[in-house]
Amino acid sequence: MNNQINEGTVSIPLSGRIDSNNASQVEKQIQEQLEGKNANEVILDASGLDYISSAGLRVILRIKKAHPVLRIINVNSEVYEILDMTGFTEMMTVEKAYRVVSVEGCEEIGRGANGTIYRIDQDNVVKVYNNADALADIQHEREVAKLALILGIPTAISYDVVKVGESYGSVFELLNARSFSKILANEPEKMDWCVKEYVNMLRKIHSTLVPAGKLPDMKETALRWARFMQDYLPEEAAKKLLRMVEEIPHDDHMLHGDYHTKNLELQNDEVLIIDMDTLAVGHPIFELASMFNSFVGYSELDHEIIKKFQGFDFETGATFWRRSLAAYLDTDSPTKIREVEDKARILGYTRMIRRSIRRKGLETETGRAQIAFWTDRLLELLEKTDTLLFSRNELVIEATTENLPEVQAFVEKQLEGTDCSPRAQMQFGIAVEEIFVNIASYAYAPGKGKATVRVELAEEPTTVTITFIDHGIPYDPLAKADPDVGLNAEERPVGGLGIFLTKKTMDEVGYEYRDGQNILTLKKKL
Amino acid sequence: MNLEVFENGNELVIALNGRLDTTTAPRLEAELKERLDGVEKLVFDFSGLSYISSAGLRVMLSAHKIMSRQGTMSITHVGDVIMEIFEVTGFTEILNIE
Repeated sequence: MNNQINEGTVSIPLSGRIDSNNASQVEKQIQEQLEGKNANEVILDASGLDYISSAGLRVILRIKKAHPVLRIINVNSEVYEILDMTGFTEMMTVEKAYRVVSVEGCEEIGRGANGTIYRIDQDNVVKVYNNADALADIQHEREVAKLALILGIPTAISYDVVKVGESYGSVFELLNARSFSKILANEPEKMDWCVKEYVNMLRKIHSTLVPAGKLPDMKETALRWARFMQDYLPEEAAKKLLRMVEEIPHDDHMLHGDYHTKNLELQNDEVLIIDMDTLAVGHPIFELASMFNSFVGYSELDHEIIKKFQGFDFETGATFWRRSLAAYLDTDSPTKIREVEDKARILGYTRMIRRSIRRKGLETETGRAQIAFWTDRLLELLEKTDTLLFSRNELVIEATTENLPEVQAFVEKQLEGTDCSPRAQMQFGIAVEEIFVNIASYAYAPGKGKATVRVELAEEPTTVTITFIDHGIPYDPLAKADPDVGLNAEERPVGGLGIFLTKKTMDEVGYEYRDGQNILTLKKKL
Repeated sequence: MNLEVFENGNELVIALNGRLDTTTAPRLEAELKERLDGVEKLVFDFSGLSYISSAGLRVMLSAHKIMSRQGTMSITHVGDVIMEIFEVTGFTEILNIE
């Protein structure tokens, strides 16, 4: 028997043929097995049953009368047809036998948290679940895959449930498909293309709004991780971690939950995402954390792990992760990429530490070394991070003149795709430089500090707003009087032109000091 | 920014490429400080310059002040976008722009 037997459930095997020759004998045997047992539920296991005649059906009816909760399971297709024709399938629960599929010698094409995917022939793959009692999981995955498909995510839906050894599997059609992991491992020159498609799909998933209650909330899961860590981190760090997770707002956008390159398939010219059982909703930082673990975290201490799992080496994985993150954030700014990566690492390490401790990691030397390594990094990251939230259009950067090119490049990238003329670009450049260099020179002197640069775009008419925030001494650069541009060369002072140009070329320039922050805003219609 | 310097007797031609901003202007300033002694004719070639900020304007104005005591200074091949900055700041009135 494969199904769990609850107390009060009696399972009886049926075998061979049941017809008028042996029906009464079979009935007697069944009754003997039920005798003295207070059976609430009777399961007739038909896995060995080849044929049943009307005499046999009458036996079943009599048992059903005495034991109303009755199921017939593992019914082969011939017997099922008889039960269906005679209306038995409507009178009682009849479960078909699952087709048996072997994955011996089959190529493994994917592996997720809950199962492994094998190619069984040219057109079909089977996902074998780790959990032996996986029918509910299979049902779940089928439902969420259907939901995703309806919401516009290209995925494959299983069309059959099969038995694979002691486990269950679900079968998908996947023709001529190759996983992105395979492409990356065999054709490194396609890295750019893979990054682009991988990020396109990620954006598509993250921009998909899921009807409330249809998918689990990833924040709830992350809260469990953070609560678990309360016993394993210094109090202050543990509290900060929990607070930061609590502060992540609820988000009804879709997350894949296990978004790595083995789960992305190129089928003919179409990119498909598979392995949908981890689908959830939530803030994208949760996804990025899981991606960091897939490409870097899990194999940071043992580079062989990613090789075994993805088929490419650690360097390839780390490069792919970083470039995908840059593309996802639509930035080349190393500071921006590092900022978001650090937030992802906080959740990534948290998850790995918890996972390892729950798997008795603290009881082995290797486990303790791993946990210590991850904990050190986690504490370091918690020290310098105040929020797990991020936005693509905001750069938080050390206010130094050396960082000006990075700030300029960040702003330019944000303006890409707008119809910003070379003239306007130059004007934004001059204004951004003026304000940022002012902060770098005066806000924190002689110390150091950070500046936030935020670029916002509004439509009709296209309007760009650039906001600079620093926590330095209150300073209003707009208060200075404009230079007299009519003076002759000898009389003109050499400075003061930057702010003047900024005021001249922007439509609005505003300054306020609020909550200990200098806030300077530039606004210009394109 | 890329900087090319051509010396011909007491004539100095400096061709600028890229961006003249806060991070690159000090290099031009240092170059001028070193080479302007005895120069009577200073020419800036802006054909490769894509961007100039107030830091760049400051260097131009300083150079102009020095050159007005020892010779002449001119700027050639100024693109539309940079020309507009010169106009707004009144530099077109002061500098010799060709």
